[in-house]
Amino acid sequence: MLSKGDLQEVLQLALAKGGDFADIFIEEKRTSGVGCEADKIERINSGIDAGAGIRVVSGDTTAYAYTNDLTKEGVSEVARVVSSASEGGSKGININLNKISSPVEFEVTSMPDKVNIDDKVNMVNRANKTAREFDSRIKQVSVGVADVIQNVVIANSLGDYVEDQRVRTRFMINTVAADEGVIQTGYNAVGGFVGFELFDEASPEVVASEAAGRAVKMLEAKPAPAGKMQVVMAAEAGGTMVHEACGHGLEADLVQKRLSVYGNKKGEKVASDVITVIDDATIKTKYGFFRFDDEGTPGQKTILIKDGILEDYMYDRLTSMKENRPSSGNGRRESYQDKPIPRMTNTYIAPGKDDPDKIIGHVKNGLLVKKMGGGQVNTTNGDFVFDVAEGYLIKDGDIAGPVRGATLTGNGPEVLQKVDMVGNDLGYTIGTCGKDGQGVPVSDAQPTMHIPEIIVGGTAHGDDGSPQIKRIRRM
Amino acid sequence: MAINLKDLAINVVQKARQLGADQSEAFLIKSKDLSIDVSGGKVETLKLAEDMGLGVRIFRSGRIGFAYTSDLGQTAVDEIIRQALANSDKTSSDEFNSMPKPGGSYASIDLFDPEISKIPVEEKIDIAKSIEQAARQSDARITITERSSYFDAEYEVILANSLGISADYRGAYCGCYADLVAEEKGDNQTGFALKLTLNFSELDPLRVGREAAEKAVRKLGATTVDTQKAVIVFDPYVATNFLGVIAPALSAEAVQKGKSLFGGKVGQNVASEKITIVDHGALPGGISSAPFDGEGVPTSKTVLIQNGQLKSFLHNTYTAAKDGVNSTGNGIRGSFKGTPEVGTTNFYVEPGPYSSDEILKDISSGLYITDVMGMHTANPISGDFSVGAAGIWIENGKLTRPVRGVAIAGNILELLKEVEGVGSDLTFFGSKGSPTVRIAKMTVSGS
Repeated sequence: MLSKGDLQEVLQLALAKGGDFADIFIEEKRTSGVGCEADKIERINSGIDAGAGIRVVSGDTTAYAYTNDLTKEGVSEVARVVSSASEGGSKGININLNKISSPVEFEVTSMPDKVNIDDKVNMVNRANKTAREFDSRIKQVSVGVADVIQNVVIANSLGDYVEDQRVRTRFMINTVAADEGVIQTGYNAVGGFVGFELFDEASPEVVASEAAGRAVKMLEAKPAPAGKMQVVMAAEAGGTMVHEACGHGLEADLVQKRLSVYGNKKGEKVASDVITVIDDATIKTKYGFFRFDDEGTPGQKTILIKDGILEDYMYDRLTSMKENRPSSGNGRRESYQDKPIPRMTNTYIAPGKDDPDKIIGHVKNGLLVKKMGGGQVNTTNGDFVFDVAEGYLIKDGDIAGPVRGATLTGNGPEVLQKVDMVGNDLGYTIGTCGKDGQGVPVSDAQPTMHIPEIIVGGTAHGDDGSPQIKRIRRM
Repeated sequence: MAINLKDLAINVVQKARQLGADQSEAFLIKSKDLSIDVSGGKVETLKLAEDMGLGVRIFRSGRIGFAYTSDLGQTAVDEIIRQALANSDKTSSDEFNSMPKPGGSYASIDLFDPEISKIPVEEKIDIAKSIEQAARQSDARITITERSSYFDAEYEVILANSLGISADYRGAYCGCYADLVAEEKGDNQTGFALKLTLNFSELDPLRVGREAAEKAVRKLGATTVDTQKAVIVFDPYVATNFLGVIAPALSAEAVQKGKSLFGGKVGQNVASEKITIVDHGALPGGISSAPFDGEGVPTSKTVLIQNGQLKSFLHNTYTAAKDGVNSTGNGIRGSFKGTPEVGTTNFYVEPGPYSSDEILKDISSGLYITDVMGMHTANPISGDFSVGAAGIWIENGKLTRPVRGVAIAGNILELLKEVEGVGSDLTFFGSKGSPTVRIAKMTVSGS
């Protein structure tokens, strides 16, 4: 283990040939996972991944290097490598490391490394059994539990020194239902910055039943309609839309590089009055929670859009240095192998005033999105898509039959301007958000919302999916 | 830390046996990566990486155990050998769990171009800069560079098992990448291009820059179209994206678990006769080529779909034992952190006879799709997909105006049967590739 004194020397070395800022991120990560498929415990894996990454910022250039060799010699060698990218000679920065204590008191109660492997296997077996017994049409079930304990030390040339431990546990199930040649799947996942107390709130049986129920329901679903429609997104659908429609476009690196439709719009109206968007790393136990981000900045709550007005972007250290302002604590990285970049944490649209049932009740003809799948956005033009994992038609204010195979596609700013009703509820989903090849744990949430029109990419073109125009039929 | 990785592999295999494993295996990777991102003529990020690690897999009484470490010190290595054994206590026994014996000869393929590591970093920075310059010079509307990059890697793979396999190889690759924005009248559109190759001399940074620029510029002024049925043409990139959705369904593992839409269909016509799909682990010049797979089985060429007829599936040692066939050498390991799972190597649609002009020639109205969004949400088990799309409208055989904000949806099996033509322009994007592919009419959801 490297001492504070060692790290001071390493950082000095990194800045020996020039450079404005240097930091080091040392990580030791222990992972463990149990997987069940085909009614068998197929794998129990565990691992150790340890390394250090050093960054030197010199003007507009970032040099980054990493190693698995955590001896003082190994890390010093990396510091020498990154230092060579700087020019102009040392700026004589004197580094005196001081420990920052966490502003958040938080403890994981059931540490995954203290949980007996039999108990982990048991959670997985319980979910497998529930899903298989749910319906005879459930043909395959795959269940996994995975936990990570990540110990980090972060130090920088400004003198910040942080020690932190992150503990995350997630539980996933995918079910396959088949009937008369039709195959459908149902997925569900829960997770958080928690240990095995995760299961105090979400039992394996409940998580499994929901996944199996979705697969079976989708067997009976008709193809989704194609074209412009009124859409209601249920709170339980999750937050993929806020993540794609505006979250990414509010990350400061994309804004500064003019790669976001939301660039240069602070203070401007970018959404309807009922829309308030918040990113909050401090919501304890949520999947995107942390005490410190991966640059040692304490996690924060940031109001991004308030009543439709763009208030702020999400910053890491580099983007905040460029604007001479503090970081918003959004500098995250997948591991010591990656440089930090601005990322979301727990991102949500704040609940509004409307009764969710009334929102559905006022729709004559539309689509209810009950569960969202994955999504994607082009931040440059704002176009986004997300997948509907479970959807229903709405007829005269009532929920009608299930539909499958739909994607909603729209333009972020255009759709957010159109949202006219926001429910007083809020539903979270967890996910791994990918950007520049780095995946980080996030959660997203939305209340029930009404979008007067958005393009639904189904296959049933013409009218309500009546059989004669189902061009593409499943076998 | 000078560790002899071959000795380490052998020692790990022996130690695991001594501690109680019936069969044991050590898999080691050591790699060195460089990437340079340029924007606005300046180096934005210079990244140098050295990485290594060990994965230990054991079988005991037919049960599997696995553990990995990036710390190759004696203490950590001993800990994970014990951990792998402990993990095997609770997994289910399976009579087909076995490692491969030595057998078959490894293809001798040239994967290591020494030029890549010899070229100085300064020259590589110039390459990254030249991509951006070429793009900006080719069209004044290219005003923003998200990324203009050069990258390379060299790696060494070492594998040993207790049945007598002990093998290694080294390789290297390099590449250029550009992600750019064209700007006109407040409209911003993106374009990208990628070249990945085993040989430094095959890099053509200027071409990558110009191609990315052209892709961005041609999308300027794009509008949506009305919801309608139209002939669809996928450019090689989009077709390759769809190929990626098919890949899992061609693995014997998916078939054995009832998760493949091709299950039980060997010998049947599952695609248009124009479609031939191949996996080739020893393809000369292929980015994923290697003498052996993640278990030490020689790589091979496997024709999966030939002229529309389903021929076979991809196997690792486990799925092959279960089906009573030979492994196709498709036990793939993404890194030292995972077990060898059935996966693709160099995976592609064989080219057809038509130039891309000939493919468009007789289309009265259609959509040439160059971009898809949300491809990762396509469901490889059901085959259902619904993706956002952008491209160029085709009228009377000619590409006319740019289109965006539409969606296409369907099922991959139907799509395969509706293929009307395959181009001669097979293009690889990393390890997967396809030519231009023309599909019969589909619903395009627009306004």
